Amino acid sequence: MEKQTKSNKRLKTAKELQKVVTEYYHQCTAAKVEGKPVGWMPPMNGAIEIFYAMDLQPVFPENWSPVCAAFGLTPQNFEVSEQMGYSRDLCGYLRNIIGYVNGLMNDKESPFGGLPEPDILLSPGGGCVPVMKIFQAIEKRFPDAKVFFADLPQVPVEDIREHHVAYAICEMRRLIGFLTEVTGHRLDEEKLKNTVALSDRACELWDEIMTFRRYKPVPFSAAEMGIMFVMVTLQGTQTAVDFLTKVRDEVRGKADSGMGVIENEKLRLFWDNIPLWYNMGLFNYFEKFGGVVVAETYSAAWSLRMDPNDPIRSLAMKSLTSYPLVSCVSISKRKEMVLKACRDYAIDGVIFHRNKSCVPITLGQMEIKRELEYQLGIPSVIIDADHMDDRNFSVAQFQTRADAFMEMLLNKKMNS
Amino acid sequence: MTPDSVFPFKEAIRTSEERLSALSESGKKIIGYFCTYTPVEIIHATGLIPVRITGGYGNTDKAYQHVPDFICPYMKRALEKALDGRYDYISGLIQGYTCDAACGMVNIWKDALKLDWVHSIPIPYNDTPESSDYFKAVLDELVQNLSAFGGDFSDSALNGSLNLYHRIRKIQYTLYQQRYQGKSNFTASDLMTIMDAGDVVPPEDYLCLLEDLSKRLPNHRRNQHHRFPVPVLVSGSLIERPEVMDMIESSGGRIVADDLCNGLRQIFPTDGKGETPMDRLIHRTLNRFPCPSRSRATDRGRRLLDILTQSRAKGIIFLIQKFCTPHLADIPILSELLKAKGYPAIVIEMDESWKMEGQVKTRLEGFFEMLGEDRN
Repeated sequence: MEKQTKSNKRLKTAKELQKVVTEYYHQCTAAKVEGKPVGWMPPMNGAIEIFYAMDLQPVFPENWSPVCAAFGLTPQNFEVSEQMGYSRDLCGYLRNIIGYVNGLMNDKESPFGGLPEPDILLSPGGGCVPVMKIFQAIEKRFPDAKVFFADLPQVPVEDIREHHVAYAICEMRRLIGFLTEVTGHRLDEEKLKNTVALSDRACELWDEIMTFRRYKPVPFSAAEMGIMFVMVTLQGTQTAVDFLTKVRDEVRGKADSGMGVIENEKLRLFWDNIPLWYNMGLFNYFEKFGGVVVAETYSAAWSLRMDPNDPIRSLAMKSLTSYPLVSCVSISKRKEMVLKACRDYAIDGVIFHRNKSCVPITLGQMEIKRELEYQLGIPSVIIDADHMDDRNFSVAQFQTRADAFMEMLLNKKMNS
Repeated sequence: MTPDSVFPFKEAIRTSEERLSALSESGKKIIGYFCTYTPVEIIHATGLIPVRITGGYGNTDKAYQHVPDFICPYMKRALEKALDGRYDYISGLIQGYTCDAACGMVNIWKDALKLDWVHSIPIPYNDTPESSDYFKAVLDELVQNLSAFGGDFSDSALNGSLNLYHRIRKIQYTLYQQRYQGKSNFTASDLMTIMDAGDVVPPEDYLCLLEDLSKRLPNHRRNQHHRFPVPVLVSGSLIERPEVMDMIESSGGRIVADDLCNGLRQIFPTDGKGETPMDRLIHRTLNRFPCPSRSRATDRGRRLLDILTQSRAKGIIFLIQKFCTPHLADIPILSELLKAKGYPAIVIEMDESWKMEGQVKTRLEGFFEMLGEDRN
């Protein structure tokens, strides 16, 4: 099999996404030039909206890693971090971004002009261990940045109690006070409400977009997962809402007119775990068997609602309920999510990406695999890989497993 | 150290499964835990027996039916033992979120072993009045759940448990201080065995063993493996094979201090301060000698430098479980910081087979030779 290096884009709005991505990174670098405070933070929490509402520029180093993968920069970044002593057994996001900030960061040829240096760091206590260690290394790299030592209860969603929420709210308020003190920007309550309303609208649109994936044939596949870029970096902005509205309209149009990703959709697949950012075209490999990856782990990642009239609590809840997708994961919740997706999207087979770079999502996959078979009779296959480091991915091994799996699914389908 | 002194601790470990099973069959509830941030005093104060889950070494065939290979040996081996029925005596499991592997593994234990009672403790990372208040609410929830599970809790019982564990840690810490001062009668592996027994023996019984040992301390003489051993500090994860410490000491080193999960980190500080028993517990937990999963490498580096100075160690051995993210991620920053202060470091990773003695010994000998030359 030839390595699939390019994803088959089928949504017109995918081109629009490239524009959104470019503008976002230009906005980040422009902020630095204009003297607008730039803050680096982990994704999937309620601090994004606070930053936008306070007219501060959020930057997401973790999200920069897929960009590096897409531009083929990860080998250079890995070389730098490995020379610094970071083990190859560590998460690829960690090795990539630490390599980047200590290497290519000052290279003027970086994609989109590179990342602007941080004035503020939101260094998390909570989330997965690699994300905490990423920020601790970034603190060392940028000693002049003002650091907010954040804290968030690491509690599975079903175990969240009022004292966890109260502490998360307390931390949100402490963050606002810190940002006011170090930047001089004050938080306008009305602006925060508007930001949270936009964030809520983006979540609503996200869910609406996902509902069209129930259609047969499915109007778009996991190869278009890049649309989540706006959920990670631009939540709480009109840009995200406008973009998602266009995606929704296009997807709805395709669904209504019966226009699928492929002409003869035979098998509907679910992808568990983070994609291979250096090989997004892999999702298209299944097409020769009439297979489409219809849904993935991220499908339900933003299925939450926020109340603009209670913005701080909403953002605290967002932080508490978003993180457990990738840390303090509960298997029962993950099972529930995967099984629900399989039912909702009429899935025929599941691909488990056993991801060397993500322990939290990978641990528990075998239990989910058994439950899928037991409860729904859905077969699955395990693919050994890594979301950042292609040295941990064997194309030949993938092909052998994927081919056998798809042939089995086709036989099962024919005999059912 | 004479074998007789450590023998009771070795025996206590060797017979622990049998004795804990008997306790369980007699109606006692035993609560397992992975991480030493678990508030064992609360479990004990509720009338239950806290026991640390251990992995040891050996095969992991059954565990691989549930987990990938890139999980630390401790977690894989512990699961293997559980799947072999060797933890059938536990009634419940507690985890304090220390690392992603521990969190995920608790889920798997719950699922694969059909455990009725599993509790997570989301410990705060900050030490502020707000985080203390929050942590108190977290511990109150634990008390409620443990009480509902079958134990009676009271502040006076907690006070008694805190006192008991304080007495234990004080004796343990005395042994560590003697080692700092070069007055220790124990090899590092003997000291580790003494410590490890505390994880699997009910605290009252363990205290008796320690007190008995204390009475006989002055009569012992330590056997040196080398004539001029190089003093070193060992920093790392849970070490489940004390023989590894012997290997270090037979390769030219003398372990004078440690920063290990089943070493200093577990016992220091020996107690906390506060008006109420719960405050005392919270204060100790939030001021623990930090695990890398709950702290910054730069902060740990400063503390390690203090220990290096106090113990007069000449270098540092990072002895870690393979795939241990918190440790692996800290090592580059720590190594740079320590090197700048004149302390060389070496990293030794261990897998579940522990079958890399030859290679490790060669590396250690080279390391000690280099340190010895520096000293000369």
